[in-house]
Amino acid sequence: MSAARITPWGAVTGGALRANGGRLVLSVAAIALGVALGYAVQLINQAAVNELSAGLATVAGDADLEVRGPRAGFDESLFPAVAARPEVALASPVVEVDAKLAGDRGELALLGIDVFRAGPIQPGLVGEGEDGLDVLRPDAIFLSVAAADALGVKRGDRVGVLAGLEPVELRVAGLLSARTPGRLGVMDIAAVQDRFGRVGRITRIDLRLRPGTDVAAFRAALQAELPPGLVVARPEASLRAATSLSRAYRVNLNVLALVALFTGGLLVFSTQALAVVRRRTQLALLRVLGVKRRALAVTLVGEGAAIGAAGAALGLVAGYALAAAAVSIFGSDLGAGYFRGVTPRLGVEPGSAAAFFLLGVAAAVLGSLAPALEAARAQPGPALKAGDEQRALARLATPWPGLALWAAGLAASFLPPVRGLPLFGYAAIACLLVGTIVLMPRVAHAALSAAPRPRAVPGALALDQLRGAPGQASVSLAAIVAAVSLMVSMAIMVASFRQSVDDWLDRVLPADLYVRASMTTDTAFLSPADLERLAAIPGVRRSEPLRAQRILLAADRAGVALLAKPVDPADPARQLPLVGAFVVPKPGDPPPAWVTEPMVDLYGYRIGERIELPIAGRMAPFVVAGVWRDYARQQGAVMIQREVFVALTGDANANAVALWLDPGASPDAVSRAVAAAVPGGGNLEIATPGEIRDISLSVFDRTFAVTYALEAAAVLIGLVGLSSSFSALVLARRREFGVLRHLGMTRRQIGAMLAVEGFAVSAVGLAVGLAIGWLISLVLIHVVNRQSFHWGMELHVPWAGLAALGAVLLALATLTALASGRQAMGADVVRAVKEDW
Amino acid sequence: MGMRSVLSPVFCPLSSEPRRAFLAAALALLAPLARAREVAYPAVRPRELVFPRDHGSHPEYRTEWWYVTGWVRDDRGNDFGIQVTFFRNRPGVAEESASAFAPRELLFAHAALADPRHGRLRHDQRARRAGFGLAQAAQGTTDVRIDDWWLRLEGDVYRTSIAARDFSLALSFRPTQPILLQGERGYSRKGPDPAQASYYYSRPHLAVEGTLGADGRTVRVTGKAWLDHEWSSEVLSADAAGWDWVGVNLADGGALMAFRIRARSGETLWAGGTLREAGGRVRALAPGDVAFRPARHWRSPRTGVEYPVAFALRAGTLDLVLEPLIDDQELDSRASVGTVYWEGAVRALAAGREVGRGYLELSGYWRPLRI
Amino acid sequence: MIAIRDVSKAYAGPRERSVLTAISLELARGEYVAIMGESGVGKSTLLNLVAGLDRPDAGAIVVDGVEVTALDDDALTALRRARMGFVFQAFHVLPYLSVAQNVALPLALLGVAAGEAQTRVGAMLDAVGLADRAASMPRELSGGELQRVAIARALVHRPAVVLADEPTGNLDPESAAQILALLAATIRAHGATGILVTHSHAAAATADRILTLTRSGLREETRR
Repeated sequence: MSAARITPWGAVTGGALRANGGRLVLSVAAIALGVALGYAVQLINQAAVNELSAGLATVAGDADLEVRGPRAGFDESLFPAVAARPEVALASPVVEVDAKLAGDRGELALLGIDVFRAGPIQPGLVGEGEDGLDVLRPDAIFLSVAAADALGVKRGDRVGVLAGLEPVELRVAGLLSARTPGRLGVMDIAAVQDRFGRVGRITRIDLRLRPGTDVAAFRAALQAELPPGLVVARPEASLRAATSLSRAYRVNLNVLALVALFTGGLLVFSTQALAVVRRRTQLALLRVLGVKRRALAVTLVGEGAAIGAAGAALGLVAGYALAAAAVSIFGSDLGAGYFRGVTPRLGVEPGSAAAFFLLGVAAAVLGSLAPALEAARAQPGPALKAGDEQRALARLATPWPGLALWAAGLAASFLPPVRGLPLFGYAAIACLLVGTIVLMPRVAHAALSAAPRPRAVPGALALDQLRGAPGQASVSLAAIVAAVSLMVSMAIMVASFRQSVDDWLDRVLPADLYVRASMTTDTAFLSPADLERLAAIPGVRRSEPLRAQRILLAADRAGVALLAKPVDPADPARQLPLVGAFVVPKPGDPPPAWVTEPMVDLYGYRIGERIELPIAGRMAPFVVAGVWRDYARQQGAVMIQREVFVALTGDANANAVALWLDPGASPDAVSRAVAAAVPGGGNLEIATPGEIRDISLSVFDRTFAVTYALEAAAVLIGLVGLSSSFSALVLARRREFGVLRHLGMTRRQIGAMLAVEGFAVSAVGLAVGLAIGWLISLVLIHVVNRQSFHWGMELHVPWAGLAALGAVLLALATLTALASGRQAMGADVVRAVKEDW
Repeated sequence: MGMRSVLSPVFCPLSSEPRRAFLAAALALLAPLARAREVAYPAVRPRELVFPRDHGSHPEYRTEWWYVTGWVRDDRGNDFGIQVTFFRNRPGVAEESASAFAPRELLFAHAALADPRHGRLRHDQRARRAGFGLAQAAQGTTDVRIDDWWLRLEGDVYRTSIAARDFSLALSFRPTQPILLQGERGYSRKGPDPAQASYYYSRPHLAVEGTLGADGRTVRVTGKAWLDHEWSSEVLSADAAGWDWVGVNLADGGALMAFRIRARSGETLWAGGTLREAGGRVRALAPGDVAFRPARHWRSPRTGVEYPVAFALRAGTLDLVLEPLIDDQELDSRASVGTVYWEGAVRALAAGREVGRGYLELSGYWRPLRI
Repeated sequence: MIAIRDVSKAYAGPRERSVLTAISLELARGEYVAIMGESGVGKSTLLNLVAGLDRPDAGAIVVDGVEVTALDDDALTALRRARMGFVFQAFHVLPYLSVAQNVALPLALLGVAAGEAQTRVGAMLDAVGLADRAASMPRELSGGELQRVAIARALVHRPAVVLADEPTGNLDPESAAQILALLAATIRAHGATGILVTHSHAAAATADRILTLTRSGLREETRR
């Protein structure tokens, strides 16, 4: 290599690469992991949402507007009235039912369409069969490819769909276009009406307007004429409503993935900070030799960028693989149950890939920025002298940025959500975390100064070293605090959530046996006759039917569950897990409605308030008589008395029945009797509270499995950062160890010194991490969760788990320190005293 | 004439935008042929037609159509061919359904405008299930509609309004002659089997008045048209490949309808027609009285199908040459009905002189019609 | 006091390098010698061998009646702690300890009671002229001052042997002269045996004897 080709980059970085290969690999890996997680989560979410929106787009087609209402639908007489309006070029009526398949084969979104009207708007819904008339025949169903695959049927096979509890046999007349996504079936609109008890009712009208129509004005005019409970909106509103439920969950996962990236950036910071310290004299020499400040800073930041680019590139590849694996194992909602019936296809998402690549590079660049600027700023003269390392990190000890971040974080935790997302909550967590990390040198110094100086020389020296060099210690501390606080906050949040769910399950499952036709579909139900038969079964002391419907209160929100069961207004707490006080309606008041927490957050319902709900095409008045907790329906639910519901709708069917048994009656025997007592009883789901609780908690755990995994990744990166920074520090102190050996310290004493250092640093980090983690968990519980999912929970700190976690961390940190010391204590420490760098 | 009956069931509900093409394939097969008959349709037997009742719909029969074709001229002397057709079909499914959407009766419409200056046919089509007052074919008088397309008899005058994709028609058709009963007083045979028959009458020499819109301009037009109303339950024999049909308003006040049904082998399976002379004398044409001799062929540049767009026609005592208004009156409806045919305005010439104007229909030249 | 007998040392490597070959040297108690020689000739190696920080390939070294070469690492460490003091070219004053703490470090390692240690550190700092800098941190000190601290640290526990490796290599001539004088005076005042490794004739001149180390062995230069 000619001398002319020696660049600052080559001079600064070349040697560092050779000397620090292992740590650089770690940095690259950390960025790669962060990017991989972020990209994977993004890909999976995007795939699920794409699939969902593609499904909705197929169903909505290229309609200009759609009229929607409650799940129970609305009177079909609205259809000709809307279709005949002069602005309407084409109106396509649709009956949508969530159908339950016979033989426990799951669910199917069943659409009844008028092929002549749907064809031009929703071509994806028109099936291809051998016989053209099958699109009209009442026994024919066309399945999407996904549905046919899921059910394992092909053209000519039969599927049974429950109407009530009895199956309606349908012939698979053909498949929908392969481009039609989702798990759905399409029939003639008349057939769906006729065969599933929907005669006279439709659930949607899709409108194509004449060219030149002012869509907004027409929408407003039509909306004014629609019966209560119906909305006319652009199809995008449906998509927003459909994705609104999972949105907060998806954002949560993204944030967790970004946390992993953040800890990766932290690792780059610690690596680069220490590398800069180690190369301080080299860098100063380069400055003396005439390398400009700017060039030096650019070179050092360039190193960070290179690390980031390498890591990000690796991360994108790993992220895609991860996403593919996760989707095949957990499904596109990563086990959370948001996207039932959605079969996602992963795309590469160039936009997201670019974004995460840039994020990865940015994390690494930001991580290397402070050390680079500091190195460039240093006066070359003093830096050339040995013993100047401490100064390198002194700048990080300024308290004001940290305090400002803290103040901002605390303030942000009191701000409301932004478009349904707890953005300020996330900001608060970020501020608290970063603020704490920035403050760590001060905090560490204060904490270590307060600690008594041990009598034994190694311990005393360890403490002196830590007190004397809080900047260096704080690099390790940043990693520990970040890892511990994130881990602790998530642990507290999840433990609180799980315990709250557990308590809630106790309160919502008071009966001995639960009999369910289907809670989520429209076609399966128990008729009043079925209910009477169940109540008459020997051993059944009391039965409580529950009807579930869905009503629409806002165009761009998911439908709200309208539930009806017998509730005693004087004592609603007996049947509902109320939160706080309740009111008893006075004589002359409208009937009571008990609403869930999301209704309070999303619709502003207040206790004692008079509200109107669109039920059966009328606005029915109610009084909000209480607020209850419901972890089952994130979109909100309203419970009304069964007799009120029946009076309003004339619908006396039930989705489920809770049975209380006579003392001594066998749940097993009653279960068998239930299945035998009603026609089609074999299609009922019968479960004891224990079984439901087990299923619910396992669903809960599955939902949080990915959360745990992401969190574990973040913590892992944090720990790797800790050990990496610690071993770097120890290596940097080889000369000091050499001196101490000269002065007569044994290897063991130096080991003990390092162990004490490791222990002390981790103890401080752990203590601060616990405190901040607890604080962050409060933000998670009361801000992020509440604003994302609208449900409250009680704080439960998993003390035993946290104690174990702390012990493990302390032990790990001590061992890491010891191991680093052993690595650093080779014979050449003696010669290190001769090294000038 | 009734051969067009086969078209009606295969008529596709949709306009022919290509991205919806796959949909068409499904509906192209709407012909109730593949499956065993699901309902008993009334048989067509000779009977007296009763008006105005028989102007209206006959929903119990499988198929029915009101078919208006004609020549009109604007005040600058430009000639146009127009076609407005409403089909009714009883597919025989969901007859027991309690739903108001039950597809017991389907309605289709087809409208076309032949303009020599445009060079080729403009056409559009619609399909709906009957119901909700949005699509219906009334009984008792002619009153058929699909959304804002309609054809009805108001007093003694037929009126229609069509807002198609690239043209519009608002026309009235005033009868100037008595009803022309086809076949045996309205009982029209379509083949050697007496069951292959329809009820069929025509209204030749309808005086047309109204407006026609295209290319952003609306012009007043006048002219002469021909209306067919036909209903039946039976279809053609299995070895029929297609047909040639013509209806001509003769300049002297006479009216001629002639058709032949071609076998797959190319020979004529059946033929027939009616000639009403200017004086009112009606002569039924037997199979032997009608002969179609192709005089000139035109190959479609789009489909490659060759049509005999000009004929030498012998119908009873008449020897005519049929010359099209424009050659390209091809309807490529593969995207909708799954077939390609030719339907267009023609001049009738005798000894080189125009003696009448009418419409010629050529089907089954692309592929044998699926029956 | 120090006896080096036929000591040889070679460094393994791609090209084995013989550094010391059959070196012998006897130093009496209280004697202060300077060892000179070209770079790479093995001066520092010889010092490390005496300190027990490295082991000879052959030969024996006896320090204060103890055969260094026969001791294990712990014993060597204990020997260094109690009997030896070091002064380095780069000072090696621990940056995170104050001047007094640095000087007190050998006493702490020897378990000297805090009160006595304080007295001795005070006396020592007095002796090197840094009484008023006891509470200062090393970064506040000049190079000469740092080396004074190092000298104080090397002698505070009254070692039998003081080993100084180019102690003025990083200092200006004026400071160097002061430090060399101080080192010699302090070693003599404590009655310690001293070895000074240096390039500088001026530095060497402060010692009692001057030896030159060459490839062929140690050669007596002059005797004062």
